[in-house]
Amino acid sequence: MTSTSTSGDDAVLEARTPLKTRLQHAWRPFRESSRVSRGLIFSGLGIIAAFLLLAFVGPLVYPYDGTQYRAETSPGEFTSFPELAPPSAEHWFGTTKDQFDVLARIIDGATLAFAVMALAVSIAMLIGVTLGLFSGYRGGRLDRILVTAMDAVYAFPPLVLAIIVSFVLAAYLSPGVPSAAAAVGLVYIPQYFRVVRNHTLSVKEEPFVEAAKSFGARNRTVLGRYVFFNVVQTVPVILTLNAADAILVLASLGFLGYGVQPPTPEWGYDISQAVNDVAAGIWWTALWPGLAIVLLVMALTLVGEGLNDVINPLLRAKGKAGRKIKGMPRARRRDRSRRAADAAEQDDEGLAAKVRDLRVGYRTASGPLWAVDGVSFDIKKGETVALVGESGCGKSSMGRAMLRLMPPGGVVGGQVEIGGTDVATAPESEVRKLRGEGASLMFQEPMTRLNPLERVSDHFVEMIRTHKPKTSREEARAMARDALVQVGIPPTRIDNYPHEFSGGMRQRVMLALSIVLTPRLIVADEPTTALDVIVESQILSLLERLRAEENVGILFITHNLGVVAEACDRVAVMYAGKIVEMGPVDEIFTNPKHPYTRGLVASTISLNTTELRSIGGYPPNLIDPPKGCRFAARCPHVMDHCTESPPELTEVGPEQRAACFLYPGAGQPVPEGVVAPSGDPQVSGI
Amino acid sequence: MKAGSLGRYVLQRLLLAIPMVFILLTLLFLLLNAAPGDPVTATLGGRLPPEEIAQRKEALGLNDPLYVQYLNYMGNALTGDFGNPVTDPRSVVQIVLDTAPATIELALAAMLVAILLGITVGALSGRLRDTPFDVGGRLFGILIYAAPVFWTGLLAQLYFSVELGWLPSQQRAGGFDAPEPITGFYVLDSIITWDMAALGTVLAHLVLPAVTLGLLLGGVFIRLVRVNMLQTLRSDYVEAARARGLREHVVLFRHAFKTALIPIITIMGLQFAMLIGNAVLTEHTFTWPGLAQALVGFIGARDYAAVQGIVTFIALVIVGVSLLIDILTGLVDPRVRY
Repeated sequence: MTSTSTSGDDAVLEARTPLKTRLQHAWRPFRESSRVSRGLIFSGLGIIAAFLLLAFVGPLVYPYDGTQYRAETSPGEFTSFPELAPPSAEHWFGTTKDQFDVLARIIDGATLAFAVMALAVSIAMLIGVTLGLFSGYRGGRLDRILVTAMDAVYAFPPLVLAIIVSFVLAAYLSPGVPSAAAAVGLVYIPQYFRVVRNHTLSVKEEPFVEAAKSFGARNRTVLGRYVFFNVVQTVPVILTLNAADAILVLASLGFLGYGVQPPTPEWGYDISQAVNDVAAGIWWTALWPGLAIVLLVMALTLVGEGLNDVINPLLRAKGKAGRKIKGMPRARRRDRSRRAADAAEQDDEGLAAKVRDLRVGYRTASGPLWAVDGVSFDIKKGETVALVGESGCGKSSMGRAMLRLMPPGGVVGGQVEIGGTDVATAPESEVRKLRGEGASLMFQEPMTRLNPLERVSDHFVEMIRTHKPKTSREEARAMARDALVQVGIPPTRIDNYPHEFSGGMRQRVMLALSIVLTPRLIVADEPTTALDVIVESQILSLLERLRAEENVGILFITHNLGVVAEACDRVAVMYAGKIVEMGPVDEIFTNPKHPYTRGLVASTISLNTTELRSIGGYPPNLIDPPKGCRFAARCPHVMDHCTESPPELTEVGPEQRAACFLYPGAGQPVPEGVVAPSGDPQVSGI
Repeated sequence: MKAGSLGRYVLQRLLLAIPMVFILLTLLFLLLNAAPGDPVTATLGGRLPPEEIAQRKEALGLNDPLYVQYLNYMGNALTGDFGNPVTDPRSVVQIVLDTAPATIELALAAMLVAILLGITVGALSGRLRDTPFDVGGRLFGILIYAAPVFWTGLLAQLYFSVELGWLPSQQRAGGFDAPEPITGFYVLDSIITWDMAALGTVLAHLVLPAVTLGLLLGGVFIRLVRVNMLQTLRSDYVEAARARGLREHVVLFRHAFKTALIPIITIMGLQFAMLIGNAVLTEHTFTWPGLAQALVGFIGARDYAAVQGIVTFIALVIVGVSLLIDILTGLVDPRVRY
């Protein structure tokens, strides 16, 4: 279990929020977790409850106890139990060679297991947490020694350690619950130690603790609360898994003969007593105690795993890939000739990509969400189209959908024609061939997009030879060198690993990978967001050269309008999954029509900006989008019918279209007296 | 040496292992000396005349002050002398040489089973997430982890040896069945001497213990491989690899699977500890004459000196293995060399 470092802001938040809110906050991932995780937890809890009942009510209800070998049939009259009797109405699980009732021993064994488990886990937690707090708080040499010691203990086989501890303890204590618990518990100290120590250490260096220190001794309280809240999230998982392990170690000690004093009923010891029965083909003495161990350990593990799933969001289940969403427009199937005709037509038009009524949806817990909802546009060859909008408006979903690269649970509808292939409907093999060769995708974060275990050359050779199988390794490497030279990376570095490059260089490597097969379309999804200004302008001029020289069509996804003005020909403005305005870059900047575009342009700083404007409010919830115009709630010009039906994209200027009822043709007549705003938004505002 | 070179990395790891060995041995010494009395009295007290016990204590240096004993212990351990048992005429080193091959043979066979099972089922579970296969794989992982290895072993004996009579349930191949001992590794010995009859017997004896232990370790592997596979499958570079139009099996194997295995190599260190613990149980269940079985015997005889020697040896092996794994990680993953 490793610790998670938390940023200062989070830490402040966590330390100051009241307990109740924090607990509600902690409960939320549980409510949002998958049915599987909850199922795991509840079935585990159910089994544990059954065992608790067995352990604590069983002895009162069941007529025999575990070390009883005879029953009183009438006052003063005793009948011995049979030896090694198979399960019967009298002895449900049979009897042992010592004439004990197997079920009675299992019941008593459960009581013992719970006692040892509780004591062992408490010992481990108490010592581990205390040492962890102390070590993390003190720091320095003592901390280093303790950490190494704990690591050493952690690396040592737990069972062997438990054996040695019980071996040494046997000199002081007679075998029993306390000594077994101590032997089992000591083994798990390092796990608690690590978690608590790491959290303590990380919070100690937080600025707010430093600040608190200067006001007095409050830092201990802050420290305590912070560590407590973080530990509360990890410890339940460790705790249940330890409890599971404790049962196993206890049984193992018992099996080897170092557990509790015979003939005390203990599952592991009972199994060791059954070893000779097995050779004679007697199964009931070994089977039942083992089954008890398996069930209880499994139940505890299920709870631990389920909790881990809930707490660790990375593993939280998402949907299965490709599941149909209701309301999905049926894919239009076309015959081959039609498709070929389309391709020819597209070539005539000089289009890099043709997008019609594109829809991208995700399955979510609260219903389907259409991140892109009916978008149409073209990208010509040798043209750069910018796609702009706020975060979460569907830009990146659209970029992915252009290559049908959907996360699990995502679906694409409509039509995306690239080089004669309809990406939205073509079979996977066809789309795969298109990716990288016909159309490539540049990602936002260059740092994590290259496989850390492969050299840069491997990336190239693998990709080139996938698409052009006849290319030799050497030819592929030569192509890779050319591409690297084009993006300004010395070809001598072709055999370096990704981690040997800076972020800017990695993005250039990604660009080289995108262009090496000269695709007709490059989708660049915020390729310069993570980079500094100088690298950004290098990447932009590279893209510009590709567009001009190689006649590549580029879809440039960004939220940076400055970049748009510098690098793009046309702009598509996206809002809440729809394109609200589209036009040449100059028109969009000097004469935006849609109120949202006006707001967007006005909110960027330029030389004439006297005050910074922003658009109030938030985009609508796409799970349940508004019936009418999606911008209506934030629009300064909102009219009655804006909330009733959605406006259509309509011609508002040369090659400029906007979806707004302020302009005739959007679907509803413009009421008298309403005048569309005009002029420079920087001056007039919206 | 250059930063990031393998040589420098190995050197670094070696230097880091030194305090680890030091602290581990010190802890063991303290732990085993925490018991009152001395090993000779504990083992032989009442069975030998007091003079002889005193004599033996003197010979073993048990009358020296504790710090002298500690220094002797550390010095001896680091020069490969693990002392002499009280109840066995052989030295601990000799005992290790006699019994370790059996343990290593069992461990390697079990590892083979575990890796084959864990990696295939784990990777498939990760790929086929939330399908019946995945659920089955996960349940098997949890179930096998929850089953004590000695119990699984007994059930296997009950069914395959007693019920069906297919496989021997106890011991290694022995007597005339055993190959001529050369290395102590029976599989290897019977191949060297080309004794196919012996090889058959040796393997028959190996199957049940190795599969029992291997299933348990495999269960852990399944869980690890599955989780790592899930993580790499949604990693950025896997998406990028798909975006380059690579074939799905290339994406899965070269990009997702290979990186998913790295944390598994790292975790093998901890797995090794688990392997040893469960080897103790497996050897006991199948009366497999290995090192762990010897340790259990000495603990039963309360032979402190032998226990201390064997445990010290195990501790050194553990540090060695974790060092080896660090180096292996460095070989596979160029990033960690920095």
